[in-house]
Amino acid sequence: MSELVLPGDSLGIHDGVPVILGPGVSCDPMTQEVIPVNAGVRHYIEKKNTVYVDYNAKRYIPAVGDLVIGTIVSTFADSYKVSLSDFSASVSLSYMSFPNATKKNRPTLQVGDLVYARVLTAEKELEAEIECMDSVTGVHAGFGLLENGMVISVPLSFARTLLFNDTFPLLSTLAQSCQFEIAIGINGRIWVSTDKIENTLACYRSLNLCAKTNDSSKFKQIIKEQFKLAANVIEE
Amino acid sequence: MGIQTGYLDQVDGSAHYKTDTTALLCSVTGPIEPKPRQELPTRMALEVIVRPALGVPLTREVEIQDKLNSILGSIIVVHRYPRQLCQITFQILESGEDPHLFDSKELVACVNAATLALIDAGIAMNSLAIGCVIAVLPESDGKHIIDPTDEQLRNAISVHSLVLQLVDGSKVVNNVLLLDSYGDFTEKILFEVLELGEKYILNKAQDFRKLIQERIEASILK
Amino acid sequence: MAKDIVISNSEREFILESLRAKQRLDGRNFDEFRDVSIVFGNEYGDVLVSLGGTKVHCRISCEVTLPYEDRPFEGLFLISTEFTPMAGGQFENGNSTGEDEVLIARIIEKAVRRSGALDVEGLCIVAGSKCWAIRADVHFLDCDGGFIDASCIAVMAALMHFKKPDITVQGHSVVVHPVEEREPVPLGILHVPICVTFSFFNPQDSETNFKGQDNLEIVVTDATLKEELLREGVLTVTLNKNREVVQVSKAGGLPMDALTLMDCCHKAYEITDKVTSQIIAAIKQDYAQRDRYAAVLSSENARDATA
Repeated sequence: MSELVLPGDSLGIHDGVPVILGPGVSCDPMTQEVIPVNAGVRHYIEKKNTVYVDYNAKRYIPAVGDLVIGTIVSTFADSYKVSLSDFSASVSLSYMSFPNATKKNRPTLQVGDLVYARVLTAEKELEAEIECMDSVTGVHAGFGLLENGMVISVPLSFARTLLFNDTFPLLSTLAQSCQFEIAIGINGRIWVSTDKIENTLACYRSLNLCAKTNDSSKFKQIIKEQFKLAANVIEE
Repeated sequence: MGIQTGYLDQVDGSAHYKTDTTALLCSVTGPIEPKPRQELPTRMALEVIVRPALGVPLTREVEIQDKLNSILGSIIVVHRYPRQLCQITFQILESGEDPHLFDSKELVACVNAATLALIDAGIAMNSLAIGCVIAVLPESDGKHIIDPTDEQLRNAISVHSLVLQLVDGSKVVNNVLLLDSYGDFTEKILFEVLELGEKYILNKAQDFRKLIQERIEASILK
Repeated sequence: MAKDIVISNSEREFILESLRAKQRLDGRNFDEFRDVSIVFGNEYGDVLVSLGGTKVHCRISCEVTLPYEDRPFEGLFLISTEFTPMAGGQFENGNSTGEDEVLIARIIEKAVRRSGALDVEGLCIVAGSKCWAIRADVHFLDCDGGFIDASCIAVMAALMHFKKPDITVQGHSVVVHPVEEREPVPLGILHVPICVTFSFFNPQDSETNFKGQDNLEIVVTDATLKEELLREGVLTVTLNKNREVVQVSKAGGLPMDALTLMDCCHKAYEITDKVTSQIIAAIKQDYAQRDRYAAVLSSENARDATA
């Protein structure tokens, strides 16, 4: 059940039944009325009694559990300041949020390094916190420093689709052209790394172009062209 | 009327708004980290900047900025972003009126452009703000001019800028966000103007919705 | 510029690594200028120039005023460049005191105003008492690098496109004829300066003195925003179609030798030539669209006044 809604529209949920509010929906503190606050496609999950609006944007707002890619901007006595998008308020990454961290055993990240992390807390009044381990089990869980490679900035909805939609054909198409490592941040950043510079370059350009077209049937063509182009130039 | 959203790459949201006589660009960046002096503890701070097409900003631009600040402050859900900042910048490209005498057309065009740019940027809003300018001409007898030309503005007995807050499918007027009137007019004329403006704005809102809908549909991945 | 944009070590290394492999992120060649588009508005002297993703708008306006006392035979010409966050969050409203902001403003000023591109003597109406004041307002809309180059094109295109109202002088009184009454007159343009910016990268690590035996610095034409953030030296050459070097600006950064400079000037000339022709063609096309009936209504004889 989905339809297009704009800010201020009626959500069409029955009064008196409590619902869980997802992204893009807000409860007016004065009137207690539930309204959509963003323009996008309305979704209602009956099983979980949850309503949300799927909308696209360029700027990321931290939400708990999101997988993000950040850049270290400064170091403090017990934490790093990390930037998730340019000009946004930075988030903090504690030295203790790394696997096997102790008071003595500190992480050795430098300013400018990229990290793959998960949002631990996100309160609108406070600075958000991210972590580089699974804090429930204390294990590694694939987070941490992203070495070399290249970062691509994409619209948030593109990053979400790439991460959550397993049938989205981009990654499988890309895999036919080369081997690569990828990390997808919900904050609209994608990190890719391959063993050859021309392949990374081709991945970078392909992802950039694919993020601009919304037609997945064109992906194959784009990727093919970019790999051909990059390979040719390097040979020359 | 030519409107294009997402016109600029570097900012979070933008709209290129063009009517027959007035053209302007609106950009929105936010929520971002404010400078300490801008920060507000319970709500989002708005930095509204209006740049004229010619010359430097004067008191006229500051007045437009102030009016925009209060209009946009009431449609943005400001309490969702405490201690954050939203930069809303307007660059007038073509004024369409004599800047020494009037500011109505620019103000209303700014409001319409801002509504679209804020949606493009994904800033939380509780309603849409849409406006129009209405001029009452001497020979009009009850037929007032919507979106008048510069010449009509000069000849008008009174000029009214009207901005309405629309909710519920943009079919219901929730509030009057701005009613700025210059010149001589009676209570009857003012009500005529309000009635005419409401009809026109509700129509315009449907055009806006269509535009936003097309934009959203185009951005859905296939 | 761009104090707050965070660029990660991975991006920095990858961009430099690509440059070493003779590759740019956007697939351009090192000496390739981005595509220029020139669009005119309704009024004379209203132009929007895009250079790749960079967008600059320029408006020209004029008024009759008092000339400077020490220059009674000259009109006034002012270029105003102000930044707003519209171009990107790194720019602060009304704060034009940053190093890069000042540099952009001064280079445009030097390239256009001080090189005498506009015939200021032609703006004189009555010596010592009345003259035209021409004002160019440059609005920076979208920043993807190359603001100097784009705004120089915008100012020149707008000046060439602009027409001021015709005037009649009777003794000390001046009559300004409205546009509806008499065909307005274009400004006197003496030459068309075009800026081309080159960025330099050091392919070795910063310790290596690459000015010794091997001369390996990488020269890139018309850098994008990311390239601008990483570059280690910058050179702006301003030329016109007559192969005259109007200005060379190199404020610090990597040292360079004379041959590189010559080479850059040659490359810049080709770009200047192309861009100048494009501006002229765009204006011609716009004028033709404006007065579609001019050919029918004209009483001009075969001796073409514009030739």
